[in-house]
Amino acid sequence: MKKISRKKVNVWQIVIYLFLIILAFIYLAPLLWMLLVSVKDNAEIFTSPFALPHRIQWENYSFAWTAGYLGKATLNSAIVCVTALVLSLVIGSMAAFAIARMRWKFSRLMMTYFLIGMMVPIHCVLIPLFKTFSGIGLYNNLSGLILPYVTFSLPITIYIMEGFFENMPQEIFEAACIDGCNIYKCFSTIAVPLSKTGLFVTGLMSFVANWNELLLAMVFISDDLKKTLPVSLSKFVGPYNTNYVQMFAAIIIAIIPTIVVYCCFSNQIVDGLTAGAVKG
Amino acid sequence: MDKLLRNKKAIIFFIAPAFLLFTFVLFIPICQSVWYSLCNYDALTKPEFIGFENYRQLFLNDKTMRIALKNSLFFMVFSCVSQLLMGLLLAALLTNINKGRNFFKNVYYLPCVLSSAALGLLWMFIFSPKLGINQILASWGIQGPLWLMDVRGFINLPMKVIAFVALWQYVGQSMMLYMAQISGIDKSLYEASYIDGATKTQSFVHITLPLIRPMVATAMSLNCIGSLKFFDLIFNMTEAGPNHQTEVLATHLYTQGFKYFKYGYASAIGVVLLILCLVMTFIINKFVKVESYEM
Repeated sequence: MKKISRKKVNVWQIVIYLFLIILAFIYLAPLLWMLLVSVKDNAEIFTSPFALPHRIQWENYSFAWTAGYLGKATLNSAIVCVTALVLSLVIGSMAAFAIARMRWKFSRLMMTYFLIGMMVPIHCVLIPLFKTFSGIGLYNNLSGLILPYVTFSLPITIYIMEGFFENMPQEIFEAACIDGCNIYKCFSTIAVPLSKTGLFVTGLMSFVANWNELLLAMVFISDDLKKTLPVSLSKFVGPYNTNYVQMFAAIIIAIIPTIVVYCCFSNQIVDGLTAGAVKG
Repeated sequence: MDKLLRNKKAIIFFIAPAFLLFTFVLFIPICQSVWYSLCNYDALTKPEFIGFENYRQLFLNDKTMRIALKNSLFFMVFSCVSQLLMGLLLAALLTNINKGRNFFKNVYYLPCVLSSAALGLLWMFIFSPKLGINQILASWGIQGPLWLMDVRGFINLPMKVIAFVALWQYVGQSMMLYMAQISGIDKSLYEASYIDGATKTQSFVHITLPLIRPMVATAMSLNCIGSLKFFDLIFNMTEAGPNHQTEVLATHLYTQGFKYFKYGYASAIGVVLLILCLVMTFIINKFVKVESYEM
């Protein structure tokens, strides 16, 4: 009797693993295939799409990098995302500190105000922002992207950081106070260093989100030299354009940074995702 | 200490940057959007108040809007249901295996962090008429369908393909959320249920499901808002074509606002989108969410 039940378990385990492996194949195959195609030439895609390339065409990458302005676009993306990341962490954790630790009447109300931002789709502020930003010279300007990126990263930053600050014991702040710390010192030398993990996790989340953002970047930037990566990619497609191999090289260039970030910090990204979602 | 924490100057210093940014980049533009939506406003003229004319146009005379609304709602329902089922299934399977859990988890979550603009281009290629999947089918002697161009039926094939791709890309997120919640459940509950003679399925239905219900609400509202906002994949896979058949609210807004420069009209679409998001979040939180259990 015991033997049979054990066998049954094994069969189930095999079925589960089979399912998971097939699914993993569905996930990885398109990405790996893209990697393969990106070093072929255009004729090979039609004749032998799944075979190894005759000769590895690294030129595809150099072409995409220079002629498609991808080098410039990567730089732009990096500038925008890093600046937005730093600003949103600083501004967000300041606000979170005030909400979590300081005592004032409207702190809860303020938190709700920020959390509503999580539900607002970026689309419905697109037109007014576009109008305002063109009026004050932020159109075709990287700062015009940074401002909304920071704003849309704030709700999640404030939410996660508020949790971190809230859970710190009151005693350390009291001790610091007795030693003559003012409130700004309490924030910068105690609260922030103690919540490094939180900062790191939220930083990763907003970096990935901003790196992939398409709509705002498409609307606010029209100058080829100022476009960010997701927008620059669309240059490789057009109704009469069949330059597939270079398009794939460009896609690979665009997704490599996030893949690297993900491989190094996948656990932290997951922490951030779950911490951000468990809102009361 | 108390005096320190009530320091008004410090509070203002800490909160002001975030508050100002939020007000000027989010709150005021939303109000402006509502105002524009009540105006006849294109790029060159000044906004001129016309009441609810834009909304009347939108719901009564605009065929594309009807397609967009239909597609958006289909998309929302599909991704809510499919991500709930698939996410739960994956989470349940992954918490029950011993080896390779991290590998599978990371693989399934990978597309979530990749640019959907880039993945859209990749899938456009895979589903193009003569390449990708149809090449495989052709080598077996099957004439593949025109995945992204066949527009017959109430919900046309391109929308189904896009919905599938979206499921592929984002199911990892739901899976992660459910897994986090499941791994937080006290193991002794399961032990107790096995002692009482429950099978694995029974303990899943009676212990796991009720305990992760708050997370179901959260994941569903994330999915809902996410799928209503959906833009990148469609824009890069079909550009809302052929003949506007794969239009959703976000692409319709983009076309009206930034191709035809009908700012007032596009703002009305934006307001509809915002209201849908708020209503859906409200409904889900009202009906799916319950008091969380003590764990």
